[in-house]
Amino acid sequence: MSILTLKDVRKNFGVSEIIRGVSLDIKEGEKHAIIGPNGAGKSTLFHLISGRYNVTAGTINFNGAEIQNKPPYEIARLGLARSFQVTNIFPRLNVFENVRCALLWSNGYGYSFWHLLGKQTELNEKTMHVLEQIGLKDKALFPSGELAYAQQRALELGIAIASGAELVMLDEPVAGMSHSEAENAVELIRRITEGKTLIMVEHDMSIVFDVADRISVLVYGEIIATDTPENIRANPKVQEAYLGEVVTSA
Amino acid sequence: MGMIKKLSVWIGYLIVLLALPQFFDSILAISIFNQMAIAIVFSLSYNMLLGQGGMLSFGHAVYFGLGGFLAVHALILIEFETVYFSILFIPLIGGVIGLLAAIFIGSFSTRKAGTIFAMISLGIGELIAATSLIFTDFFGGEAGISGDRTFGPLFFGVDFAQDLEIYYLAAIWVFIATVFMYLFTQTPAGRMANAVRENPERAEFIGYSARRVRFISFCASGLFAGIAGGLFALNYEFITEENLNAITSGRVLLMAYIGGLGYFIGPIIGAVILTLMNSLLSNYSELWMLYLGIMFILTVMFLPRGFAGFIMMHQTAWLRGNLKQLALPYLISGIPAFLFSMTCVAMIEMMQTEEQSFSFFGMQLATDAALTWIVAITIAVAAFYATRRSLPQLRDAWESANAIPASEKTES
Repeated sequence: MSILTLKDVRKNFGVSEIIRGVSLDIKEGEKHAIIGPNGAGKSTLFHLISGRYNVTAGTINFNGAEIQNKPPYEIARLGLARSFQVTNIFPRLNVFENVRCALLWSNGYGYSFWHLLGKQTELNEKTMHVLEQIGLKDKALFPSGELAYAQQRALELGIAIASGAELVMLDEPVAGMSHSEAENAVELIRRITEGKTLIMVEHDMSIVFDVADRISVLVYGEIIATDTPENIRANPKVQEAYLGEVVTSA
Repeated sequence: MGMIKKLSVWIGYLIVLLALPQFFDSILAISIFNQMAIAIVFSLSYNMLLGQGGMLSFGHAVYFGLGGFLAVHALILIEFETVYFSILFIPLIGGVIGLLAAIFIGSFSTRKAGTIFAMISLGIGELIAATSLIFTDFFGGEAGISGDRTFGPLFFGVDFAQDLEIYYLAAIWVFIATVFMYLFTQTPAGRMANAVRENPERAEFIGYSARRVRFISFCASGLFAGIAGGLFALNYEFITEENLNAITSGRVLLMAYIGGLGYFIGPIIGAVILTLMNSLLSNYSELWMLYLGIMFILTVMFLPRGFAGFIMMHQTAWLRGNLKQLALPYLISGIPAFLFSMTCVAMIEMMQTEEQSFSFFGMQLATDAALTWIVAITIAVAAFYATRRSLPQLRDAWESANAIPASEKTES
């Protein structure tokens, strides 16, 4: 069963073609990594799927619904959550509020101005549970903008997974982290995406091969291969385009 | 904060509102309290936009003014017995009109925040103010329209002819409006307004349309601005174009900003300070608007979080029990700083006055004598120098009062 299907998706910015006909099939429950050299269009692809950009052509199907060119909030409500490459939180709200905001819609609060947040025991417990998962329980009342970098990245993840979305998309979740921080983050990602579908853009190959069930290689706006980590490693086209130098240098 | 503590703050607020006239019962005092009541509701409603929602509006008087005009029309209808209801509900009429205007205007102006929102609000404000002068039947032209609040059914024998009676009516409305505006900040819509202010993009990726979130705050803000307009109509029994033009819009911005946007109580403080300046200072000086402007600039430069922020700055020192360490340094810097500003005020006033002698705090100053100027300039320079010299001490005192004690340092 596929949860997300892209058919010949294209994106032009002016005359330059950034995504040049991507077709991709993500199976329910799989951990899928998208790799590729800088400027290949990985983040653009994420933005197209999550609704930040409109597609120039092609269709994106999520759980049976066409989502291309829909605004981000409608896509998010269908159960697709994402994180960002550059930390994208609510800096002057505290850590607890950040996560609680991310829980509101999926818990049916909508635009309510007749519920008092302080009295929503179940919601607040769920928020604390997410904070516990991402290891920020003791920072609950801390202004999120003043957290350490790795903690902000953890919060970034927390906001993405709080809603309990079926499909989680993480854009370079461990970028800029030290080795030990990255290890913790990978452990965290594994834990919180259990039973969910994950699509991840990541540069660190050891993490990619460690986490992913399947890998797609994006080069100049085109997917040149989608396969298991072993086959991707062995694929001469991939090695030539991108991977070879990384494998030898690692 | 505990439930009981929170509740006692609200009860205290209500008691202060209701007890004020017991302590200050002059006609002037009651008139000032009525203005404060109106200003508090108006500036709190403004803060729903700017402080809570990140929408800088230059046209908030539109909702205040339209609410006020309809409220005066309602008074006229009551007077001519077209309708029959108690004037207690006049602020509600203002509120409904403010809300309707906000629904209409907000439907397109909240699409974006930032400069675009600010420019649209400015344009709409000018448009409505200019239009109001054309439709003289409804808005009464430059003279405005007036009504009489003493008609309609009596409320337990009270006809609201006295300003004091209106004050109690206003105080109840202020309390209700404050409670509801506070509660709004505690709801999903209110909290998402903060989130959209901080990061509209991310809000969209957690399921919320930033535009819709802004629209809801905008409507709520219009509702309460309209209630303030209704209170204005009840208090003054007349309203003119000035109450919906840029002057009033600018004043509410100043109030909220000087009070402190980041705190719920900030706009209340700002409303109190500006009302006092407006009604007291204007008795003493024609230049009070100049002083208000200087105060605004100084606030923006040195107290970006307003008076409320200034008070809250002392929380750490207070929690550590070090607040009294600051008293003396504050005095040492404060006295010359005060002297400096007062001397500057004296010189500005001397320049402005056409009289040869000018009374300043009981002193008779000869405005055309060179000696007066020499003395004034000497005092100003000396006071400025003394202030400058004392500032490093104040800074040291501040740092030691806020320093983390050695006993706490080991943790974290």
